[in-house]
Amino acid sequence: MVGGTLYTYPDNWRAYKPLIAAQYSGFPITVASSAPEFQFGVTNKTAEFLKKFPLGKVPAFEGNDGFCLFESSAIAHYVGNDALRGASRLDQAQVLQWVSFADNHIVPPASAWVFPTLGIMQFNKQASEQAKEEMKLILTTLDGHLQSRTFLVGERITLADIAVTCSLLWLYKQVLDPSFRQPFGNVTRWFVTCVNQPQFRVVLGEVKLCDKMAQFDAKKFAELQPKKETPKKEKPVKEQPQQKKEKEEKKPAPAAEEDLDESEKALAAEPKSKDPYAHLPKSSFIMDEFKRKYSNEDTLSVALPYFWEHFDKEGWSIWYSEYRFPNELTQTFMSCNLITGMFQRLDKLRKTGFASVILFGTNNDSSISGVWVFRGQDLAFTLSEDWQIDYESYNWRKLDPDSEECKTLVKEYFCWEGEFKNTGKAFNQGKIFK
Amino acid sequence: MAVEELTALEKCLGLKAGKYSRRAQGSSQVPVLQTNSGPSLAGLATIASHLVTQAKKEELLGVSLEEKAVVQQWLEYRTTRIDRLTSKEDVRTTLKVSHENRQDLNCYLEDKVYMAGNKITLADILTYYGLHPIIADLSIQEKENYMNVSRWFSHIQHSPGVRQHLPSVVFIKNRIYSNVH
Repeated sequence: MVGGTLYTYPDNWRAYKPLIAAQYSGFPITVASSAPEFQFGVTNKTAEFLKKFPLGKVPAFEGNDGFCLFESSAIAHYVGNDALRGASRLDQAQVLQWVSFADNHIVPPASAWVFPTLGIMQFNKQASEQAKEEMKLILTTLDGHLQSRTFLVGERITLADIAVTCSLLWLYKQVLDPSFRQPFGNVTRWFVTCVNQPQFRVVLGEVKLCDKMAQFDAKKFAELQPKKETPKKEKPVKEQPQQKKEKEEKKPAPAAEEDLDESEKALAAEPKSKDPYAHLPKSSFIMDEFKRKYSNEDTLSVALPYFWEHFDKEGWSIWYSEYRFPNELTQTFMSCNLITGMFQRLDKLRKTGFASVILFGTNNDSSISGVWVFRGQDLAFTLSEDWQIDYESYNWRKLDPDSEECKTLVKEYFCWEGEFKNTGKAFNQGKIFK
Repeated sequence: MAVEELTALEKCLGLKAGKYSRRAQGSSQVPVLQTNSGPSLAGLATIASHLVTQAKKEELLGVSLEEKAVVQQWLEYRTTRIDRLTSKEDVRTTLKVSHENRQDLNCYLEDKVYMAGNKITLADILTYYGLHPIIADLSIQEKENYMNVSRWFSHIQHSPGVRQHLPSVVFIKNRIYSNVH
């Protein structure tokens, strides 16, 4: 056997397939998963790599004789032995059947269900529920097959078992809790036997079956997301964030888990229900009361006078915000989504903040600016990691509450009416954060 | 019968054939192995365990403490229960009593591929030898009835070297009496 190198990022479940197969066959395989041999997102973008593997995706295999191969199941087939590939033509066809079954029928719903629980994909209730139902159907099929069989094909472990086990790995670790897997006892028996074979254990380590079904965690998701979105505006080099984005998308479970562990640690280190404004003296300005006035009564005649009468400039501050990249604003509905999206991500700030943000101009010629009221004298965004996603895309200017400029801006922005001299564009639509 | 079985086990383990004799004990015959060193060994489970150690395949007796205990349990089950099955009724009871009684073999094997741990052990091999005449005698429908036993049996008889002189028992993997539970 000539041996070869497997390029992958660390803990890639797709790479497990060839690695387990190599354990059975004794094929000498070297894993290149870290610098300097291989750095995901960098090495696989180089011309040299792309020449060998035009897709630039991993796992990818390069034999010591120069033979190149991509797609994990094909690599597993190549590095495996005849016993794994199936003895007869009939067996081989069945092996191929289950390998394809894993790729086409298990992986899509498994990803739709598991990825949100790992915080690497947005949660969509409908998609998750649909994936659950699909998984039930798939597990029922497998269960029926395994009722009378020890392994999927023949009486020995084949590539079929390796491929299907690996595709179910994250399901069993994350979401298939005892009550969900109860009707599929034959599948669990087979799965546990497979992952406990010495050849599997060397590659997978100890596999612990899930105790409690993991649910989507919005916080985890928010913590993972900023990494994608903030650098986009900050870095002038276009390529870099794009690569990063792709990396995070492609990198499935394990990467996310590592990230999660870190952020979880950070979370645990912080006192949980700490009031970030605890150090401030009590204020006479009651935000809720103002919001009630603003929502229920006329802005110009009731809410604004109330605001100026009760506003406490020691305990609160007023800020003017302006979007830094007006040239990138195209369709107005997209710009509006930008504003409302920011509001949504700032959800927890609602108790101590108020804002009116307005989109000016028309398609391809617009700007966004707004007036914000925060507790304290500083920008609130630095107080929580969850709030830092959007604010760097804006210029912030603190307004002096006693100045004429401030009075005008507050009036115009709160009422959505006026000359808006500062913008030079016509009012298009406004959004209120309250 | 026990002697043939031990000879098969010797072959399976790659050992040379030992010298066996039989000794009557009550109504049944007990195999006796004359060893080169020390006294002779009597009894199926004793001799089998000795052979495994001699072949340096101790992992067949179980690796963890729990596995070792479970292997011993089934070796005992083999000599005390399986070897004393006489009637068809006995067989039915052993393989599958009822769903309230979870002690029977079919239920035990429901969530297991091997009798102890995740690898074949002496418990599987000796239970397989012991059950062979019984399973070989079952109809297709009965085999399907004891589905978990059948699945296990089919797997063990295909393990390298285990079957030896015994005829291979045919199992139909696609259920044909699907209305039977």
